[in-house]
Amino acid sequence: MSHNWWSIAGWRSALRDPGLRLLIAAVLVAVAALSSVAFFADRVERALVLQGAALLAADLAIEQGDPIPGDWLDKADALGLQRARSIAFPSVIIANERPLLVQVKAVEPPYPLRGRLRIETPSGAANAPPAAGAAWLEGRLRDRLGAVIGETEVQLGEVTLRAAGLLIDEPDRGGNLFQLAPRLMIAYVDAQRSGLLGPASRVRHRLMLAGAPRQVEAMREWLGDRLPPGSRIADVENARPELRTALERARRFLSLAALCASLLAGVAILLATRRYVDRALDGAAVLRTLGMSSAAVLRWHLGQLLVVVIVATAIGSLAGLIGQQVLVAVLGDWFGEALPAPGARPVLVGLLFGLSMAVGFALPTLLRVGRVPPLRVLRRELDAPGLASWLVWLLAAAVFVALMVWQVQDQRLAGGMALALVAALVSMMLAGRLLLVVLAPLRRAGGTAALGLAALARYPQLTLLQLSGFGLGITLLLLLTVVRVDIIDTWQGSLPAQAPNHFLINLQPEERAALAAMLHQRQVPNSGLHATIRARLVAIGDRRVDPESYDDLRSRRLAAREFNLGFGTDMQRDNRIQAGQWWPSGRAHEPQFSVEQGIADSLGIRLGDTLTFDVAGQTVTAPVTSIRSVAWDSFNVNFFVVGPPAMAAELPVTYLSSLYLDRATEGLTLDLVKAFPAVSVIDVRPILSQVRDIMDRGALAVEMVFLFTLIAAALVTVAAAQVSRDERAREVAVMRTLGASRRRLLGGVVAEFGLLGLIGGLLAAVLASVSGYFIAVELFDLPGRFSPAIWGLGIGGGTLVVTLVGWLATRRLLGLPPVRVLNSG
Amino acid sequence: MADGRILDILSAIDMQVNAGEAVAILGPSGSGKSTLLGLLAGLDQPSHGRVSLLGHELTEMDEDERAALRAGRVGFVFQSFQLLPGMTALENVALPLQIGRKGAARAQAETLLREVGLGERLSHLPLQLSGGEQQRVALARAFAGDPQVLFADEPTGNLDAASGQRVIDLLFGLRDRVGSTLLLVTHDQELASRCDRILRLDAGRLSGP
Repeated sequence: MSHNWWSIAGWRSALRDPGLRLLIAAVLVAVAALSSVAFFADRVERALVLQGAALLAADLAIEQGDPIPGDWLDKADALGLQRARSIAFPSVIIANERPLLVQVKAVEPPYPLRGRLRIETPSGAANAPPAAGAAWLEGRLRDRLGAVIGETEVQLGEVTLRAAGLLIDEPDRGGNLFQLAPRLMIAYVDAQRSGLLGPASRVRHRLMLAGAPRQVEAMREWLGDRLPPGSRIADVENARPELRTALERARRFLSLAALCASLLAGVAILLATRRYVDRALDGAAVLRTLGMSSAAVLRWHLGQLLVVVIVATAIGSLAGLIGQQVLVAVLGDWFGEALPAPGARPVLVGLLFGLSMAVGFALPTLLRVGRVPPLRVLRRELDAPGLASWLVWLLAAAVFVALMVWQVQDQRLAGGMALALVAALVSMMLAGRLLLVVLAPLRRAGGTAALGLAALARYPQLTLLQLSGFGLGITLLLLLTVVRVDIIDTWQGSLPAQAPNHFLINLQPEERAALAAMLHQRQVPNSGLHATIRARLVAIGDRRVDPESYDDLRSRRLAAREFNLGFGTDMQRDNRIQAGQWWPSGRAHEPQFSVEQGIADSLGIRLGDTLTFDVAGQTVTAPVTSIRSVAWDSFNVNFFVVGPPAMAAELPVTYLSSLYLDRATEGLTLDLVKAFPAVSVIDVRPILSQVRDIMDRGALAVEMVFLFTLIAAALVTVAAAQVSRDERAREVAVMRTLGASRRRLLGGVVAEFGLLGLIGGLLAAVLASVSGYFIAVELFDLPGRFSPAIWGLGIGGGTLVVTLVGWLATRRLLGLPPVRVLNSG
Repeated sequence: MADGRILDILSAIDMQVNAGEAVAILGPSGSGKSTLLGLLAGLDQPSHGRVSLLGHELTEMDEDERAALRAGRVGFVFQSFQLLPGMTALENVALPLQIGRKGAARAQAETLLREVGLGERLSHLPLQLSGGEQQRVALARAFAGDPQVLFADEPTGNLDAASGQRVIDLLFGLRDRVGSTLLLVTHDQELASRCDRILRLDAGRLSGP
């Protein structure tokens, strides 16, 4: 060993150390896993936001009854934003001498600002608004009119338009599009020429904006004071809570997978350092006898570690960059061409993460090098005092938790992981101690298995280290194999194939029976009827609700908007009580509210607060008796605020329902409109498929990240087996000298590692089951469930893999002539 | 191999040790004594030539067959003791008996340890013992199971004169009782002279008595 850590010869010899090589691999994998997820998540998140924006065809959209004022357009131009206007209104067109009700949408270039318009024309595909005089027709409209694309002429008010293309898909179709009438898309100028935009018409004007986030936000701020009553700002987050929930979950899945991979790599770093230090002690003792101070010895190794970490981190970041490119290549189609380029931040994150991991996982063990007694040169059995196993693990866990809080910025996820980590380590240590006590008597026995098992009792420190390494490795793998699949299944299952895809609103109380009969007769799956009324929150307790008093935009918007107050006897199945209690049937006559958690957090509503709503001029006041979470991405009928049905008795409520319509029952919408003229049917299929898409893509991305976890787990297993390699090599050589057969030695190893794997697997199954349950319930708001597969895989798989690793590690030793090992020191 | 050249550590060695004989191989450091011992005991394999032990051709056996041959019939004493650090003195001595599946291993081991004067240190780990004591544990282990052949590699090399003398006395005493064939490697002329026959090894070549 050279004490100049910049000397090439010194490095060449240091790099021959298997511990150091393992350490480099572990740092590399940790950084690669984290940075590729950071790179990828960074880009995916931006892409997901873009995709959400596609549902608006913009980053920001303002909708109102009056035309968009010119100064708004000037401001948008001044901010360098892209802009496009649209006008939507119902109207009757005449074609082939037949009148038909349509929903007209007039758009101007460069609509759409986000997402893609898909048109088929006789001359090929198109993706831009129609030119003046031309119209895009939805398939249904073409069929009903018997129109021929490219030939048929359509009369809309005072203009005559040619059916020039077939409208396949428009990005902002969902949400506010009423399915009553099919779509006719025309040029903006044609709408203005049509003479249909008179004062009495039901016209909605829309301004769509897109650009850099800062400019979009500036525009939003600027509009804040200027928005006239009746204007509405639409953006992804407030427009679609179901999309927000799906995005939130996808993001959490990715973070969780990346954390598991880097934690595993951290464990590998810890184990590899132990091996590195064990081998470095001899050299350190020699340097001490030659007069080097313990601080200088430690400094040499710290320098070496630093160089190793920096190099491994750099390579890891590069691997991360390549890794995320692979992810992008695989998932490229899913994101379209809109995936933003990776930023520089993940490189920095990777470097800091790698260094911190090294400090937390390697440093406590490395400190031993500085404490080696010089006398070790004479008495090799003299060890350097180190920190207790539990303390080393605890320090590593503390650093990891700190990193997690910094990196994930998700208090619930970080807190949950921290708790699980500490619980895992404590139970591994306790189980290890118990194992040592149980095994102690075996030292007296002489059978093949006993010989192996007694080895566990002979090296208690190594046994605890190995058990923790194997156990933690198996736990994290189980979490990511079984629990991940379970949670993702449950998540995807929360949106079943027959999830409601149409909403029916504005049904009058007297029409309820007729509608129920109609749905029953057509066998249409539906959610039943839910009473609702538009209401504005005016006071929380004695405090009047003033949108301006909230700091963040979401809260301001929530405070300003009217929302649907719901009434019901039973809680929806996808809701979960977070605080308080849902009204028992005996107390359903008392006025009270149950509030959705997200809106409660945003508006500062707490259990026991009294809420006052303005409902069509009446004041409704009641206390909050429960706070509940809502799985918005289930597409069931859900309300931010719900009261018991008795509260609705005096209010002019209407009813709404959600339906699942397939091809066979699709025609029902027309019959519904004929039978109940006031009812509106909203088609949510585009959002539904968008959410499904996010779920599928999230699941696929997690699969990719899981690959890193697998590599990290393999490293942990190898590192854990390597920890005891030197001791094992010596034992094998001495026993071979004394005549022990290969079979006997392998038998002992199988017993030793088999037991470690069995106990590690058993503990891992318990830990993975419990933490999987809590992850589902607490982090993802999904119903928890226990998977039987965990037990088989944990115990059986754990035993098998760990035994195999031990067997492979020892088999190589058996091939060496004993004298070579004995002479090596 | 060294620097790409073939290095002959031992060459033209032709020797035979008869049953019950005590033979010393005497030579300076680096003469190849320990290598020769390793080959004779079947702990390593020569690149050329044949070695036979107890009537078995070691060079035609695999590592497992050689181990089986050693089990219970061959004992070893090393300069660096080679005790297993995780095992107590008693466990170290009982080990060859357990490997040879001989009954009452612990009782026999205890008797042997008392015989070498370590009856009070049965449950001590090697690092709790002095060098001389460790070598006596190693002696007890070597004679556990009454081996037919005993290989000793510089048994006093790591010990002071007094401890060394005690170990040698014990070694020859035990050997007399058990009747083992002894093959001893040393650079100590006086120790070698206690054997029936002395072979000299110099630069890998053997010369007669």
